[in-house]
Amino acid sequence: MTAPAAPPATMNDAVAAYHDYLAERLVELRGHALTLRANIGNGAVTAAMQAWLDAQQTWQRVGAAYGSFGDLGDAIAPGSRGLDGGAESPDFKGLRRIEYGLWHGQGAGELIPVVDKLLEDIAALEAKLPETAVEPSDMPLRLHEILEDAQRDHLSGRGDQGSGLALALARADVEATQEVLEVLRGLLENLKAGFPARLDAELAAVAAAIDATQRDDAWADYAKVPRDERQAVNAALGRALESLSLVPALFSTD
Amino acid sequence: MQIQRRSFLIGAGGAAAGGLLAATAAHAESEAPSAPAASSDVVDFLGANQAGVYRPAAQQQHACFAAFKVLSRDAAELRSLLQKLTVKAGILGGGHKANEALPASELTGVTGAPPINSGIMGEDIPTAGFTMTLGLAGSLFDNPAYGVAAKKPKGLTDMKVFPKDQIDQEWTGGDLILQLCADSSDMVHYALRDIMKATRGQLQLQWKINGFHNRPRPDGAPRNLFGYKDGIVNPAQDEKLVWLGKDSGQPAWAEGGTFMVVRIIRMLVEFWDRVGLGEQDGMIGRHRGSGAPLGQDKETDAPDYASDPKGETIPLDAHIRLANPRTKETAGSRMLRRGYNYELGVDLNGNLQAGLIFASFQQNIQEQFEATQTRLANEPMTDYIEPFGGGYFFVVPGVQKEGGFLGEGLFA
Repeated sequence: MTAPAAPPATMNDAVAAYHDYLAERLVELRGHALTLRANIGNGAVTAAMQAWLDAQQTWQRVGAAYGSFGDLGDAIAPGSRGLDGGAESPDFKGLRRIEYGLWHGQGAGELIPVVDKLLEDIAALEAKLPETAVEPSDMPLRLHEILEDAQRDHLSGRGDQGSGLALALARADVEATQEVLEVLRGLLENLKAGFPARLDAELAAVAAAIDATQRDDAWADYAKVPRDERQAVNAALGRALESLSLVPALFSTD
Repeated sequence: MQIQRRSFLIGAGGAAAGGLLAATAAHAESEAPSAPAASSDVVDFLGANQAGVYRPAAQQQHACFAAFKVLSRDAAELRSLLQKLTVKAGILGGGHKANEALPASELTGVTGAPPINSGIMGEDIPTAGFTMTLGLAGSLFDNPAYGVAAKKPKGLTDMKVFPKDQIDQEWTGGDLILQLCADSSDMVHYALRDIMKATRGQLQLQWKINGFHNRPRPDGAPRNLFGYKDGIVNPAQDEKLVWLGKDSGQPAWAEGGTFMVVRIIRMLVEFWDRVGLGEQDGMIGRHRGSGAPLGQDKETDAPDYASDPKGETIPLDAHIRLANPRTKETAGSRMLRRGYNYELGVDLNGNLQAGLIFASFQQNIQEQFEATQTRLANEPMTDYIEPFGGGYFFVVPGVQKEGGFLGEGLFA
């Protein structure tokens, strides 16, 4: 996390701090994508899977999953929804396409072009980040909706392309949410005293419930996680989402 | 998702924004649900016993059976959960006009927050004969975090697996059940959604199933999905087979409660429809058309087993004969049945997944439900049914006065 020593006092400061955070994540993302390309090229499947997870988690930490960077962001990790043929469609691109390939026995011939396109898209997003400024009005929505996406896409199982790593991705979404909370903390505290602390506790509970599903520090296949452990995650996440849903209203001027 | 769904305070420092916090809790004083206006379809929430068992006398047309895992961390949280559920039962059962005050506990205190209610029922929430019936499973009493082991009613075991059962773990378990009944399916959905939103984090659905109650065709008891009138014979309240009384031998707090058995029973309706009427009648022991016991005219006629010792009129293994042999020895094993039919998509073999949500209420699961089920173990009808889910629960006593709450006796 890159939280400043004192929380930003204005929304403009918050957005600026968030931009710094994003720029660092994109550099990381590019590094993971390069590692991914090398591993796929070498036929090192297990290492490629790890590099994919690192890249996808970094993208989750960007917190852009719901399209806040427009087409540039959408190109990085779109799902297969809306594609004729779903994951088999030639139009399916990006990180989730690479996940699909790695977990369905595909190799360099099929995946290197996808990674190359991904690297181009990352470079384009990095280049345009200064002018693709995050809208200040987007920040409260982001605080709420990154975890809505985690529930909709990851914990539903519907976004999975074969890795079964829904919990790892949701965990990164928690971190993304914590980062946004960090930059909005001062503003939010002024709007509703004590509310950031409540969110801290609820987000920590989500993180703890997700971490409790790990075995020997490794992520379990989400489909095989026992129901009582899923219930603990879902309950904590549901509680946090109810609280987070108040954030846009708190910042609203309507 | 629309990104720009409203305008935001941009660049504002903190102090200026304080005024936005004006709470909407204009009616903060009244915590308890207000008494519902008199209406023909209001089922009183208050009473020595919970509603949804004998009240209303004619069961509602729609139901949801929702079993939850309870995630409360300690007794204090459990208590507050039960209080919340009590408030919800009162408000939902009493109906609610859009211009009436809600208890402060129902409000977010944030201007412009998402609506408190889902809008499914429109602005004014009708009563629709709504009842919420709350039951607790043995697992809740066994959870050391709550310290209520000594309050566990005797006989509240896990659901017994009978010889022909095919139990699917996805359809069993849960620490707490809500039976939500109303005369419209949208009210049942509304209530469940409302309750879940209010208890997010403390209750997590374990399994749930919705049911419907058929209209009488043409009259009398409604028909089940085998086409037979079902629930014709139910013990009256004054036969004292349902509520725990003073001398039940149960923990004192349990007086006024009852045990609930829920069994989700798949009915192989395609197979059943390929069986001749005579064989169907013989398996049930009643005429399909009239509902009368075989050899009789009316559904309310009592079967005459004494003059049919060899089962020439009503086979000895007919469902009604095994379930209720009408002897002195078996009279005490009768129970109140209040089930619902369900439909649930398509089975792998292309057949309808449909059947019965069997729900019974009794003082003693072992001596009533299990004794009856044991007699039924090898009835011919077992070829056509497959119980696959459900559970045993203790329906806690009713709330007798405003300010009380369901399960209050656990903490006394």
